[in-house]
Amino acid sequence: MTAMASEQTPKSASPLQVAKAVLWSFLGIRARAAHESDVTRLKPAQVIIAGLIGAAIFVLSLVLLVRFIVSSAA
Amino acid sequence: MSAVIDSGHAHDEHRPDGGIMRWVTTTNHKDIGTLYLWFSFTMLLVGGMLALAIRAELFQPGLQFWHPEFFNQLTTMHGLIMVFGAIMPAFVGFANWQVPLMIGAPDMAFARLNNWSFWMLPVAATLLVGSFFVPGGATAAGWTIYAPLSTQMGPGMDLAIFALHIMGASSIMGSINIITTILNMRAPGMTLLRMPLFVWTWLITAYLLIAVMPVLAGAITMLLTDRHFGTSFFNAAGGGDPVMFQHIFWFFGHPEVYIMILPGFGIISQVIPAFSRKPLFGYSSMVYATASIAVLSFIVWAHHMFTVGMPTAGILFFMYATVLIAVPTGVKVFNWLTTMWRGSMSFETPMLFAVGFIFVFTMGGFTGLILAIMPIDIQLQDTYYVVAHFHYVLVAGSLFSLFAGFYFWVPKWTGRMYDEKLGKWHFWLSMIFFNVTFFPMHFLGLAGMPRRIPDYALQFAGFNEIASIGAFGFGLSQILFLWIALKVTVLGQGEKAGQRPWEGADTLEWTHLPSPAPYHSFDEQPVLG
Repeated sequence: MTAMASEQTPKSASPLQVAKAVLWSFLGIRARAAHESDVTRLKPAQVIIAGLIGAAIFVLSLVLLVRFIVSSAA
Repeated sequence: MSAVIDSGHAHDEHRPDGGIMRWVTTTNHKDIGTLYLWFSFTMLLVGGMLALAIRAELFQPGLQFWHPEFFNQLTTMHGLIMVFGAIMPAFVGFANWQVPLMIGAPDMAFARLNNWSFWMLPVAATLLVGSFFVPGGATAAGWTIYAPLSTQMGPGMDLAIFALHIMGASSIMGSINIITTILNMRAPGMTLLRMPLFVWTWLITAYLLIAVMPVLAGAITMLLTDRHFGTSFFNAAGGGDPVMFQHIFWFFGHPEVYIMILPGFGIISQVIPAFSRKPLFGYSSMVYATASIAVLSFIVWAHHMFTVGMPTAGILFFMYATVLIAVPTGVKVFNWLTTMWRGSMSFETPMLFAVGFIFVFTMGGFTGLILAIMPIDIQLQDTYYVVAHFHYVLVAGSLFSLFAGFYFWVPKWTGRMYDEKLGKWHFWLSMIFFNVTFFPMHFLGLAGMPRRIPDYALQFAGFNEIASIGAFGFGLSQILFLWIALKVTVLGQGEKAGQRPWEGADTLEWTHLPSPAPYHSFDEQPVLG
């Protein structure tokens, strides 16, 4: 375990990488190579926070889309 | 008690006590899994008998057997018993048996909590089923127990509320146990993204349960205080709002739909690769799709309420969000198909149920999409089309996945192979009669037959007759399943199963444990490469 942990620590994921993983997850698709790097780099806490932010953005963009449609119909 | 006093000696020597006390006091995940599975199968038969009582009444137009009031009790209790008594505990039973075996853990994290969360269920079931015998009979407000119907009914409603509270508490405790086990007790080397899909789906489902069961508890507590303690949460005359009940209920109810299918997805994701002799296609996308479905499940609840009335913006939001869930779900279906693509497939009973699952569940998914489109939903709300839709998802989805899981893992549980010939009969009878029962309901719904009615207009007679015949065939087919299960588990009949009877199965329970899995397994953690 310690050996694995020391292997993982040096390359933790950047916010952009976490965002990418989460955005792909909303579609439900992930390439194998990207998965391999997720396994070693992503931490659960990062993914959960990014997931919640992603869900919020998703809801907001849907709300915006709906507002646009409703206002253009009026 | 003696088990507690004697607990000084070495753990390896622990064998179960004989007799009934073994089952009452057990803290062993395999025993508790078995209890859950027998309990849920019993409830399936009880709920199934209620369904047959419904279908007997609907075989012909006109009132045949039951008063309309009792008919409403039948539909309500059928729904409540199947959802909370059969499907949910059955998946918990699978989790109890399989999660420790698949992650290389010796048992569940909280063994006594585990015992408690099971033994609350028979109490709840007794309250629920017993409510038929109180004055006024069982609750007849539909499984959704909408206010103000549910604020008006007799003591049967109170019993249902208490039963739901107890079942909810049991589910939450089970979920805490499953999450703790998965996060803390995995074998060294089994990182989160190397866990078998069944474990992943249960991890996500357990979080969903913890998030929404308290919401249901809140809703039914408000019902209870409205009924007996003078509050007016759902009473417009007192400043409350009955529509609020629907919002709260479905904020629980829609994630609940996924609670009942995600572990099924997990089982199918173990069975398909094993019988295709190929690794699962797109493992990580399966994990991500599951998580994505879980997140989306929280923002679609009001699609159950399009006809209740809401602002156009609200309708559009819930419609779009609902339709978008089809994307991750579709990814899963395509991943299963591509797993099978050019695989060296064989069709033993678990695989038959898995392939059958994909076929019929997808149909249920598509009718769900149709219902998500608001202008169509306005026409089809509360018709038999909806009944057809959710039975395609819950029977052909959840129940078929449970059957697939049973046939897949029973050699590991008992050390014996089930009767393959009878298993295949069970599959084909279930598959055919399922479709005979529920496919005509689409036509009934499109023609305008409302759900939850004991009598109907003459033009619906033909398809109702077919559906009733199918229902009795489906019900009788499950007696065959009971015989198959008794044969292999209780009577111990069947060929001896090797450690790994399915050559394509490669999770820890197949690669590291003999069949049957010993009473105490993984006392020493396996180490993964």
